[in-house]
Amino acid sequence: MPIYDQGYRRYEARAPLRKARFWPITREALRLVLLRRWFLVLLTFPLGVFLWYVGRIYLATQIPEFGRILPADGRLFGEFLNVEIVFTILLSIFGASGLVATDLRTGAILAYLSRPLTRRDYVLGKLLVPLFLNLAVTLVPGLLLYGVGLSLAPALFLKWELAWIGPAIVAHAFSISLVVSLLTLAISSLSRSTRVAGLGLFGMIAGLEMMRLILQFAFRQKYAMLLSVQADLRAIGVALFGLTDRNLAVAWGWAALVLALLSLACLAVLRSRVRAVEIVT
Amino acid sequence: MGEVRTPLVEFDDLAVSYGLVQALAGVTGAFLPGPTGLLGPNGAGKTTLLKTLLGFLTPDRGRMTAFGKDPTREPLEVRRRLGYMPEQDCHIPGMTASAFVAFAGELSGLPRDEAISRAHEVLYYVGLGEARYRNVETYSTGMKQRVKLAQALVHDPDLLLLDEPTNGLDPQGREEMLALIRDIATRRGMSLILCSHLLHDVERVCDQVIVLNQGQIARQGEMRELTGARKQVFDVRFKGDATAVLTDLKDMGADWREGDDGVRLFLPEGQGPETVFRVAQQCGVQVRRLRPGAETLEDVFLRALGHEIQD
Repeated sequence: MPIYDQGYRRYEARAPLRKARFWPITREALRLVLLRRWFLVLLTFPLGVFLWYVGRIYLATQIPEFGRILPADGRLFGEFLNVEIVFTILLSIFGASGLVATDLRTGAILAYLSRPLTRRDYVLGKLLVPLFLNLAVTLVPGLLLYGVGLSLAPALFLKWELAWIGPAIVAHAFSISLVVSLLTLAISSLSRSTRVAGLGLFGMIAGLEMMRLILQFAFRQKYAMLLSVQADLRAIGVALFGLTDRNLAVAWGWAALVLALLSLACLAVLRSRVRAVEIVT
Repeated sequence: MGEVRTPLVEFDDLAVSYGLVQALAGVTGAFLPGPTGLLGPNGAGKTTLLKTLLGFLTPDRGRMTAFGKDPTREPLEVRRRLGYMPEQDCHIPGMTASAFVAFAGELSGLPRDEAISRAHEVLYYVGLGEARYRNVETYSTGMKQRVKLAQALVHDPDLLLLDEPTNGLDPQGREEMLALIRDIATRRGMSLILCSHLLHDVERVCDQVIVLNQGQIARQGEMRELTGARKQVFDVRFKGDATAVLTDLKDMGADWREGDDGVRLFLPEGQGPETVFRVAQQCGVQVRRLRPGAETLEDVFLRALGHEIQD
């Protein structure tokens, strides 16, 4: 007897389409990423940086001399987030570079787009994956660090004039996470191989940073910093938290403009690459 | 008097192109409830028609409606009532079959619990009950085809679109898949469009058929109309000039066309090899070889197109 005689039940209920149609995409992709043990190990590296900064706040409250060498003030949070940029890039390379590439390779893109989903739902669902991962190493520890600062050293941080720190952490964490996530997803959509997409992302970020260093130090081109995604992101942090970095001497507005244009370019790439039908003319 | 059935899908003067390549050139037709075959050689426009129905492609001209809605303007409303089994591979690496099918159900709008429950039922139905906790990547081609069918069925669509469902299957797997599809159409009462370049597949499952050729509808109607007038086919090689034999056979209602190695004869009902031998003898022509042939899709197309085969 054929096995399919075991039955098939018709399903009559038709609920209205939910608003957050992207959510199952994000949830399942995050679940698959977090199933990898080595990725969880990778997630602990930023924790080490977080603990170092907690230690700095603690030591600054306990040993005034230490505070004079490494001061604990509003700038500390900017420094912390600028260090975390490297981890957002690493997490994106290892956790999210295959998000679209794999779907293109395995044909899963059709499994998504033949459903009652728009391309926007698909992109949003996928974009939230690196965004959540990146916020987990920027926004969450950034706000936690601020909380630690407020509780350990209220004399240093619990002041009206430092109330900007919280919003600045949120703004900088989102700018880092959003730009890196968009870039990851756009590069992922340009390949059918996770490895190629990961290498592409690394190559682009590292290559531009090297080009910046060469142009800036060998040829004294100060606007060369605009070439580097990392430098542009750091420049935003420098502006938000009042840091000083003579290598990022260009006005932050230019960096913000470059990042905005880069984000728009990423959206354009995603718009052209995320399709159920590949049209070759 | 025959029952009047409201078409699920209608298209009128539908033209779709990929850049400069015209895939559908102003086709007009309808898909009625029940199993319908979409038959045609590779590149005929079958998949393009399905993808237009799914709202992936915007027609250059003409209109299409599915369940009374325009797939270009209301793609989500149309897609939630469709189940699509694509021709190519379609799975998410790292997912088990049950997780993948449940996920597909959820994407189609089912509540999570219901999607999980239905995923198990549907996987049993397609014969993957025992293997449902295995990663889809480890499946054989036949099992992957079944998973694709399961993900298309999980939300119980009103119309199932099957694009070359027997691709890559061995003869047994192919028969099982066709039996399953036939069961979906007949016993479960689900309408489906079976897109194939294999006449046998469509013949096994479908009552209605639309034959596409070079972006145009060559024929549409009842399957039996297309295959009912099927003739007996023989591949024959004559020694010498066989024009007289072929002319006499044509007068008796036979068709013929040049084959790869001789002549392909299409004899009407009631005629057999003895007719060929008899006419050949009367004309003084020797039959060097005669063997039964199978009617090919090309033969059916030629007839569907109304071509005089011997032209």
